[in-house]
Amino acid sequence: MSNAAVTISGMNKYYGSFHALKNINLTVQKGERIVICGPSGSGKSTLIRCINKLEEHQQGSINVLGTELDDNVGNIDQIRREVGMVFQHFNLFPHLTVLENCTLSPMLARKMPQDEAENMAMTYLERVRIPEQAEKFPGELSGGQQQRVAIARALCMKPEVLLFDEPTSALDPEMISEVLEVMVSLAKDGMTMLCVTHEMGFARQVADRVIFMDQGEIVEQAAPEEFFGAPKNERTQNFLNQILSH
Amino acid sequence: MTALLQSRKFRNTALQAGYLGFFLFLLIAAIVIGKHNLESQGITMGFAFLERATGFDVGFSLIEFGPYDTFGKMIVVGLLNTMFLGILGIALANIIGLIIALFRISNNGILNAIGTLYIETFRNIPLILQAFFWYAVLTHLPHPKQAVNILDSIYFSARGLYFPGLNVTGGAASLFFLALAIGLIIMIWFSIARRFNKIPKTTKSRIRMSIFGIAFLIGCIALVIGRIPETPLVSVPVLKGFNIREGIRISPELGALGIAMGIYGGAFLAEIMRAGFLSVGKGQVEAARSLGLSPWYVFSRVHLPLAFRAVLPTLINQYVWLFKATTLGIVVGFTDFFMVISVSINQAGQTLELIGILMLGFLVMNNTISFVLNRVNKAIALKGTQLRT
Repeated sequence: MSNAAVTISGMNKYYGSFHALKNINLTVQKGERIVICGPSGSGKSTLIRCINKLEEHQQGSINVLGTELDDNVGNIDQIRREVGMVFQHFNLFPHLTVLENCTLSPMLARKMPQDEAENMAMTYLERVRIPEQAEKFPGELSGGQQQRVAIARALCMKPEVLLFDEPTSALDPEMISEVLEVMVSLAKDGMTMLCVTHEMGFARQVADRVIFMDQGEIVEQAAPEEFFGAPKNERTQNFLNQILSH
Repeated sequence: MTALLQSRKFRNTALQAGYLGFFLFLLIAAIVIGKHNLESQGITMGFAFLERATGFDVGFSLIEFGPYDTFGKMIVVGLLNTMFLGILGIALANIIGLIIALFRISNNGILNAIGTLYIETFRNIPLILQAFFWYAVLTHLPHPKQAVNILDSIYFSARGLYFPGLNVTGGAASLFFLALAIGLIIMIWFSIARRFNKIPKTTKSRIRMSIFGIAFLIGCIALVIGRIPETPLVSVPVLKGFNIREGIRISPELGALGIAMGIYGGAFLAEIMRAGFLSVGKGQVEAARSLGLSPWYVFSRVHLPLAFRAVLPTLINQYVWLFKATTLGIVVGFTDFFMVISVSINQAGQTLELIGILMLGFLVMNNTISFVLNRVNKAIALKGTQLRT
């Protein structure tokens, strides 16, 4: 128990009458790297958005780092401080500089003094290799740079778990690698990660487990060699054929 | 010659020179003819009348005014009253607008319905009717002897609304608010101007507090100097005989206009602000929430600043428009700028000069509003290209 970062059991989610997630059971250990893939509309983004309650689930339970994700507002805020999220469209705050984007939440939600928060932010901006952009505004950066700032912003909360929601799918091809490099280095440092992505190279390189979802269900999960080498389910095979053939 | 006529540059210049000449001619002709006609009626043009005594009093004034004061001073009284009413009305409209906008975007069905009902009611009744309505309500409050009394210090009566105040001269009180307003403007400028970006936040907030402190101190000194001798500092309204004495009196005229502007303007501002809130990308709000920020911080640090930036140009428009609505003072007998000009035209007969002063006054006031706010808009505009999500 103490080693589980995220435990989801018997979770169901509906949009009105549409059954978006069907009986999800998933345990993620601390330090584990999970890649979630599947066709569009299969519920992969919805699943990770349930983990920090950007989406509400109707049945079942989600436990993050020992805290039950229920209706308790205090619990929700606590979990959100411990679980970082990186979005497809970066979602930086355009009215704040890169540095302010990074220090906003540590200063307000963690009550960190400004100089301490700025020093920490600079450390993480160096880590994602854009310290020189600290005084610029998000709109003045390229997509790849913005996504790296978004990762630094999430890291500034010193999260236990990082969620990635298709972090490279809004990027131009030449910028994908700079973001993936940062993600690989995070994985090597032992960060617990759940990544929704179609970067199969990344999955092969760092994932401990690859999960395939279709129509709101977890269809198959396996270690990458097994997943890519000998997929068991027919739907997985079809999906892999489609995305790896081009 | 034909080559010159064919040149686009020459044509443009010639056309503009032609226009300019034509309008100059019209203007000069109007002045000459106007002057000639007025002289034939025995009226001389000029601003000498501003020095003459009016011979009558005004209903409401922020500064000392009596029948022996001049037309010039009466116009100043009107200007001050208009600015006072404008600031009061716009401030009220902002507060109401923000609350109603939040009702409209909330997920709560009841609040939503209240917001919609509010906007659909007050937006669709002409402002002039609302001013009459509130004037009727305020003048039909009980007589001073039966005034609605809250804690023996606030009275609502047909003679006006009475609040506790200070025993200082009107000029000192105006100076106090002027000092606060200037302090506030410097504070805002200091907060948003990019040249101060390098200063660390903690130092910055300390400087901000000192600016406010100094402005407040200067204001207080003005109050102390302007104290009316041999009276207690705090003046609490009391019922004496048939009337309420002491305290600050908000006349029914001012009250009615302030409430009407607040309620009517609030309905329009609410819709603008709602548009602002809806224009903010869902992604930015989600990102703020996912960082563990409390709902208040998500609102005050991300949602509100982005919404404000999106609609500031539209808001400026609305403020200027609302400011001009103060001219409705004349329908309930509030001595605003427009009314003192109308009265002066009647009494002094210098129509052209007075209309000129009126137009110039509104041009200066409204251009000041839009100049300052446009500078703010430019200073806080988002940098770079924005991705809409």
